[in-house]
Amino acid sequence: MSLNDFFLHRPQTVAEACELGLKHGQDAAYLAGGTDLLVDLRSGRRSVAHVISLAELAEFQLIRLEDNHLRIGSMARMVAVSSSLEVQESCPALCSAIDAMAGRQIRNLATLGGNICCGVPCSDTPPVLCACDADLVMLGGNGERTVAVRDFFLAPRVTVLEPGEVLAEIRIPARSDGSGAAFQRFALRSGSALAVASVAAWVKLDAEEIADARVVLGAVGPVPIYADRCAQELVGKLPSAESFAAAGSIAAEEARPISDLRGSEQYRREIVEVLAARALEEAVTRARGGGR
Amino acid sequence: MTGRESGSRLINLTVNEQVHEVGVAPGTTLKEVLRRDLGLTGTKSGCDAGDCGACTVLMDGRAVTSCLVLAATADGAEIRTIEGVAQGNDLHPLQKSFIKHGALQCGFCTSGMLMTCIELIERNPEPDEQEIKAALAGNLCRCGTYPRILEAVKNWRSFEGVPLDTEPFDEHERDQERDLDVAGRGVPRYDGPDKVTGRTLYAADFKLPGMIHGKILGSSVAHGLIKRIDTARARELPGVLAVITAEDVPDRFYGVSPARYDEQILARERVRYIGDEVAAVAAVDEATAQKALDLIEVEYEELPAVFDPDTAMADGAPLIHPENPRYAGNVNTAVEWHFGDVDEGFAAADVVVEEKFVGNRVYQCPIEPHATLARWEHHAGKLTLWSSSQTPHYLRHTLSRVFDIPQGDIRTIAPCIGGGFGVKAETTPLDFCAVVFARMTGRPVMMKYTREEMFTHFRGRHKQHIEMKLGLKKDGSITACQSRILLDGGAYTSFGVITAYYAGSMIPTLYNIPSYKYDGYRVYTNLPASGAMRGHGVPAPRFAFESLMDMAAEQLGLDPLEMRLTNAMQPETVTCNFLDIRSCEFVATLEQAREATRWREKKGSLPPGKGIGVGCGGFVSGAGYPIYRSKFPHSNALIRVSEDGLAASLHIAVAEIGQGCNTVLPQIAAEELGIPYHRMWLVDSDSVLAPTDLGSYSSRVTLMAGNAVRMAAAEIKQNLLVVAGGLLGTDAQGLVARGGRIFCAAHPSVGLDWDEVAREAFSRGGPVTGTGHYSPPPNLGGPVKGSAVGTSPAYSFSTAVAEVTVDLETGYVTVDEFTDFSDAGTVINPVTFHGQVEGGIIMGLGETLMEDTLVRSDGSLVNPDLHGYLVPTVGDTPRIVSRAVESYEPRGPFGAKEIGEGCMLPISGAIANAIHDACGVRVTELPITPEKILSGLRKQRNEAKS
Repeated sequence: MSLNDFFLHRPQTVAEACELGLKHGQDAAYLAGGTDLLVDLRSGRRSVAHVISLAELAEFQLIRLEDNHLRIGSMARMVAVSSSLEVQESCPALCSAIDAMAGRQIRNLATLGGNICCGVPCSDTPPVLCACDADLVMLGGNGERTVAVRDFFLAPRVTVLEPGEVLAEIRIPARSDGSGAAFQRFALRSGSALAVASVAAWVKLDAEEIADARVVLGAVGPVPIYADRCAQELVGKLPSAESFAAAGSIAAEEARPISDLRGSEQYRREIVEVLAARALEEAVTRARGGGR
Repeated sequence: MTGRESGSRLINLTVNEQVHEVGVAPGTTLKEVLRRDLGLTGTKSGCDAGDCGACTVLMDGRAVTSCLVLAATADGAEIRTIEGVAQGNDLHPLQKSFIKHGALQCGFCTSGMLMTCIELIERNPEPDEQEIKAALAGNLCRCGTYPRILEAVKNWRSFEGVPLDTEPFDEHERDQERDLDVAGRGVPRYDGPDKVTGRTLYAADFKLPGMIHGKILGSSVAHGLIKRIDTARARELPGVLAVITAEDVPDRFYGVSPARYDEQILARERVRYIGDEVAAVAAVDEATAQKALDLIEVEYEELPAVFDPDTAMADGAPLIHPENPRYAGNVNTAVEWHFGDVDEGFAAADVVVEEKFVGNRVYQCPIEPHATLARWEHHAGKLTLWSSSQTPHYLRHTLSRVFDIPQGDIRTIAPCIGGGFGVKAETTPLDFCAVVFARMTGRPVMMKYTREEMFTHFRGRHKQHIEMKLGLKKDGSITACQSRILLDGGAYTSFGVITAYYAGSMIPTLYNIPSYKYDGYRVYTNLPASGAMRGHGVPAPRFAFESLMDMAAEQLGLDPLEMRLTNAMQPETVTCNFLDIRSCEFVATLEQAREATRWREKKGSLPPGKGIGVGCGGFVSGAGYPIYRSKFPHSNALIRVSEDGLAASLHIAVAEIGQGCNTVLPQIAAEELGIPYHRMWLVDSDSVLAPTDLGSYSSRVTLMAGNAVRMAAAEIKQNLLVVAGGLLGTDAQGLVARGGRIFCAAHPSVGLDWDEVAREAFSRGGPVTGTGHYSPPPNLGGPVKGSAVGTSPAYSFSTAVAEVTVDLETGYVTVDEFTDFSDAGTVINPVTFHGQVEGGIIMGLGETLMEDTLVRSDGSLVNPDLHGYLVPTVGDTPRIVSRAVESYEPRGPFGAKEIGEGCMLPISGAIANAIHDACGVRVTELPITPEKILSGLRKQRNEAKS
């Protein structure tokens, strides 16, 4: 099946990319890996006259550890991200999220920035980035701005990106001693299936006690859901199966799922409860220095 | 080429080390450039959404789905496709490994699969099983060759520097010794080398000079009357060559069963489901045709629609075929069978179990989308059709009837088929419209479905609503069985009459059932038509029956496997519904499965969350009667020996859909002729080059075509034995042909080379040929209406044991191990045999646990794609133990029966019973999703509390 007509732009600089985006506004789409956009264009879910490829922007593909932050260019391919030693060391939860999504051929094309900017509720990386408190650096007509990933998502497929603005870099605080993050997802087959629900958890231990925590839910709301009551519940507690289970049941309440072909609202809450407990347990193991 | 001229550009691509400069439009994908512009059709197109992996190529060393790469963004890239994997004639060791392990069937996923594997082994030459599974998660194989792919990748290095031959890789695959030379051995597939190199041509790969493309417009409403169609704007679009509506096509009904011809090429007045064909366009390219469709205006008067059989049968429900009074109440087919006396049977029972079951709308989902290429020869009035049909004969028959073209003037060429499973067993709107356009325009016409159109055309499994009841004595012996089944037929009949009968007829073949009552109603609804799918109509009733057996065993305190043994079918039995069973090793399959799985130790003793379950199945080895009345033999074969006597060609019109008939049939020929397998040529699937065969459906090919082939070979052999007898001065009676020699049975050293005898025969009498034909025994079946369905020369039997883990927190089921013991008669090729069993298990697993096409309240489809409709991936593959329990079927070639469909039937029951063993939850509605299991567990907990 052929794609409909559009004009393909291949800007060589960020400034050019922003300018084109601004000029064509709603009639343009930025092309990163293409694994989402091309499917949408083909199915008619989206229709634009201008496609602006970001593939030429080599500086957007860098991955490095700098200033105590993992800095990942938005155009870094998923496989490049998850096989990067810096990422594996600093944010193994992100690797778990990437390795569980789609097939290798897709991860070879898809980019981390694309996975974020598409704003699809069941995307796997946003919950991890939220749990890890990442910042997103964006470039646009008005220069650079940085937003916390928490403030990035507005609604399904809607983000704070303005016309002519592109995501440049994802900045994740490097893993510090006593902290750990984990990602758990549930899907209806072993691989290459969209998540029914996912949970990313981050914990900071002080001695044996949980000093701080963030729990973020994916695929169970219009945007990644911060299960703040669940996280709050954990602070000051000793990590244990009981405390994780109690936190999980609060997370289930905080989820805002819909019913669809992958599961009913109620089932998704039940899954969130299980995944949250599992993610917390894994995050604590990592915080104690275990796990990858 | 699509897109604006202003946006088109020239790009450089290095493909398989050759530099190309190609002009591409902005929307042109890398896949389109490879297939269309560079003619590299080894890269396949399966879904256009990155879900199936069939189009995988290497781009700068990375495996990518080429359907999701804009060619313009690949400018300067280095591309490697399947055509660039072998070095000249030297296959890559991985390709050899695939062939030798039987890691391919239909071959449609094979190119993509190999490319992903090559990326893997280039970065990790010795991957373990988990790494292979992780790497291949994005490559779907619907034939279920995953277990063999895993082995082929693990062992690829052992093929480095080893030449490819036609010897079996692993002689141990042979389960039982018979006095056979070629048959019975796991020789590599005849089509293997072509499939691993991407050379095999599927229908969509053909390209003829002047070829144009057609697309069909489907109805946007589920039920309505067409008030107006305006095609003017479409006709005006540059590049459009023809636009057709009902007025431009023959006003004739067609279908599968002559008793229920209810389809028309394009809707005349009424549309009956979303997608019902309304108009079609032919244009210079696909994109233009698609654009023209969008310009056709259709005005409908919408009518109330019905989407489930209960509602459709209710009083006052809107009628879907009101013009035909026979379909009152929307009942398309009613079966009311009563054998023996069930009232007496239930009265005599000590225990009666009864339950409602619901099946699912499973789609066959071959990775190859349907495609047709039609060419019309004006001067001669002849039609040639390359169609992805698994039944080229019925295609020809139907086209001849609808278009009034004599069958002899229609040449059907079935290219290789990328998976069928029943969905390619009927003539499609693509076939009809392509013929119409070819005749109108004088140009060859290519038409193909998108993945979404495949789901819309459907013809998948009927969703069945089953009420079943079973009566048993205390010792577990069955006294009666009764079922009432509503089959959701969708808008048209398709194969549905036969489905409705099969849903009833196949239940009494496994166990001794003294009395049996079956009421089946196939009901029209405003949904895509259901049709024939692997195991035709039987998996859901068999799931119900096998579940009831376990429920009864529990009530009676009996072991469910032993209880099955109590009732197991014996050889030489006529069932209560008049089916004539000859060979039958069902008891042995049960006993051997019990021992192999250590059933007695495990059943009821596994830890919580772990379970073991048994299910059984069996199927026909070919339908006893053709679909329309005909006295033609069902299978026909022609064999010709080459003039030098060193080769023989088998001409046969079966369809290789992946099942392996193109390997098994030459084996049968070589066995009977007495020559080595590698001397065989196969000339298949062309109605001009080979005589008629009814095609690849109802698991008929090995037995029926096999018998025809054996007969043709026997004729040649008889001829040669006489010639050899003359040359040796001995009686032909005492001679045997084997292994390329003809010799005295009593004195094997006295003999001649086979080819020498064949040369002599040619010198004396010209072409050395043999013909064979096969028809099932006459008068099969009983004196009851519809009892022809279910008749067959022979029946298969199998026992399957599933071992599962249920995640008690999420309900997720992992099938850890699957053991199958099948009686398929003599196994002609163990590799293809086990490949069928493994594939059936994997397909059955998907059907049981995850597959369902879902419908919205307006009749539109929720998941007509491969990310919403989930089929099993390599990671879902259990460890599979497949064993043959060979019987000798007197009606089969060398004792052979079917395997391809029977192997599907025990799966759902075995898994459902294992899940129940693991967690006590009995799910009676397919698919058994984690959500249903968790809901069952919750109910269990609540009941325990109260």
